[in-house]
Amino acid sequence: MTNPQSLNLGDAPATTKAHRLRNVLRRRTEGRAVALLAVVAVAALVLEPLVFSAYPVTLSRVALVGLVALGLTVVILMGELDLSVASTVVLAGVVMAQMPNIPLGILAALATGVLVGLVNAFFVVKVGINSFIATLGMLFVLKGLAVVISNSKPIPLDNITFAIKFGLPLVGALTPRILIFALAFVLLHLFLTRARAGREAFAVGGNRQAARDAGIPVDRRLVTGFVMCGVIAAGAGAIDTLERTAADPTAGSTVLLSSFAAAIIGGVALTGGRGSVLGTLIGALSLGTLEVALTLTGVQVDIQQIFIGGVLLLAVMTDPASLRAAGSSIRTFVQGLRARSTNRELTPPNTSAP
Amino acid sequence: MRSTRTMAAGVALIAAVAALTAGCGSGGGSAAADGKKVYALLPQGNDQPYGTEYLKAMKAQAKEDGIDLTITNSQYDADKQASDCQVAVAAKPALIILWPAVADTVRPCLERAKAANIPVTITNSDVKEQDKSLTAGYSGPDTYGQGAASAEIMCELAGGKPTNILEIEGLTGNTTAINRKAGFDETIAKNCPNVKILASQPGDWNKDDSQTVTSEMLTAAGAKNVQGIYAADDTMVAGAIDALQARGVDPEPLLITSIGNTKLGNPLVVNGELDGTVFQSSAWDGEHAVILANDVLEGKEIGDDQFMPSVKVTAENATDPSVAPNW
Repeated sequence: MTNPQSLNLGDAPATTKAHRLRNVLRRRTEGRAVALLAVVAVAALVLEPLVFSAYPVTLSRVALVGLVALGLTVVILMGELDLSVASTVVLAGVVMAQMPNIPLGILAALATGVLVGLVNAFFVVKVGINSFIATLGMLFVLKGLAVVISNSKPIPLDNITFAIKFGLPLVGALTPRILIFALAFVLLHLFLTRARAGREAFAVGGNRQAARDAGIPVDRRLVTGFVMCGVIAAGAGAIDTLERTAADPTAGSTVLLSSFAAAIIGGVALTGGRGSVLGTLIGALSLGTLEVALTLTGVQVDIQQIFIGGVLLLAVMTDPASLRAAGSSIRTFVQGLRARSTNRELTPPNTSAP
Repeated sequence: MRSTRTMAAGVALIAAVAALTAGCGSGGGSAAADGKKVYALLPQGNDQPYGTEYLKAMKAQAKEDGIDLTITNSQYDADKQASDCQVAVAAKPALIILWPAVADTVRPCLERAKAANIPVTITNSDVKEQDKSLTAGYSGPDTYGQGAASAEIMCELAGGKPTNILEIEGLTGNTTAINRKAGFDETIAKNCPNVKILASQPGDWNKDDSQTVTSEMLTAAGAKNVQGIYAADDTMVAGAIDALQARGVDPEPLLITSIGNTKLGNPLVVNGELDGTVFQSSAWDGEHAVILANDVLEGKEIGDDQFMPSVKVTAENATDPSVAPNW
């Protein structure tokens, strides 16, 4: 300690450690979602503790929105959008109800998801259409298909007894929907953090040209992303259909916006490259908890939408990038003011000179 | 520098959400006073003219009967309504009033409520026949009967002459839309086979879509081949009349019927553009939803379905106070 050299040596690792921790925290994108979840949780605890005592209900609302949002996250991370998710949910359900039995139906639903993902990827990768437009087109096409196939009527499943059982708790108080949601989260998290293809998704979304230059098969990764998103949406469609015992060609009208909201609140940047499924999970948790709490306290849906919209705006506004931009513009403004005032202080001698 | 900024962001977020939730606390926190806590799971509310009047009447009646009402709005998303139903069952109310978003999908909700010993009454649009045993009663319009009543007006107007008409249906998949269509189509086929439905398209309960599909059907069928139009509600019939006028077709000689007798439809009947409509009172609907719920709570004997009377409104009685529109 007496030796300044050793003091330096002792000090350096400490700063690096703190530095590293700060770096890790800085790289995390979930901060806002965590803050929101904390606020929502505390508010719910005070106002409506039922949100927690009836946690299976809250969790199934979270899973309802969250599952689609998880798949969407992969596509958004790659810097693309998939607006067709809600229509995929509906179409998969309708296709499922056409099949003679439920296992075959689930397979058909998932196959629909793969197909939708491939078509989306084809338009974006091969034809080169902007994904917003390509998937917007698919939104209408798939929705229309669902209505045509179902002859515009809800189709009840043959085996309603099984479907009703599917909505009941399987492990403890957890229904299959919640368990599948948890499993999907774990698998996607591992995929994005451990698998090479998953890690490369961030590069594809961050800087596509650099990713290409680095030899990442960008096109193939995009196809993977769209297919994963499609399959997960289709899976959600199958689960929805089972839980409501019928395929409904008009279902899912609220899925699209809330799944995007969950991802955005979770800190997934719409420009791609930044975010995580963990963020989306936390986003979905806070959104779901908020919705259930508001419903329990009897807040009308119009007011609920104001809340959700407000939260969404806050999430976007508090994005580190936009905060940094706002901060620097304020700084420039202040510097400008200061410069002007110093100028003025400087001017008297100048003006008195001539 | 950066961390302080992030912290500031966090604080701002927390403050904003706290302000929001504080507002919610003062607005929505009404505790059950005398144990008559009721959840009403509706698919619409102040976002639609019908729901707005329905809610007013419902709340007024609930106040009169001393019922603490919590109302949800699933915006016709069956999955959201299923989730609202789970929330309601978890809150253990004395009763649940359900207006099914999609009748085919309410079975799990009814089963859940039954398992929790919560009676469920149905309002506005009924559940499927096989699910009726799980409910404590139904009050609301006879949607099939309304379609049939509108068809009867049409048959009477056609008077045995061959008549080609266009049909504008409600929102695809919606129970009311399905029943009204069935009531109209079947009654036409039975009572007046001389009336032929040339084409049928959904107008999704709104004026703009109805105007578009009417215009398309007029093009497809040829405007001069069309002698009549039936729309499943007044809003859509107004769109259809606009489509006719946009093509320079005078709606007066055409046979036009619909359902609703709304503030939009009633004046059309009075001025002769619309030949007949069927009265559906949203106030009756909302009021009787609570009356039925209260009867069940008080253990009164509930008879058959409590149907809203399907009163036909034509030029003869359109200005009568008993059919004054209320939405």
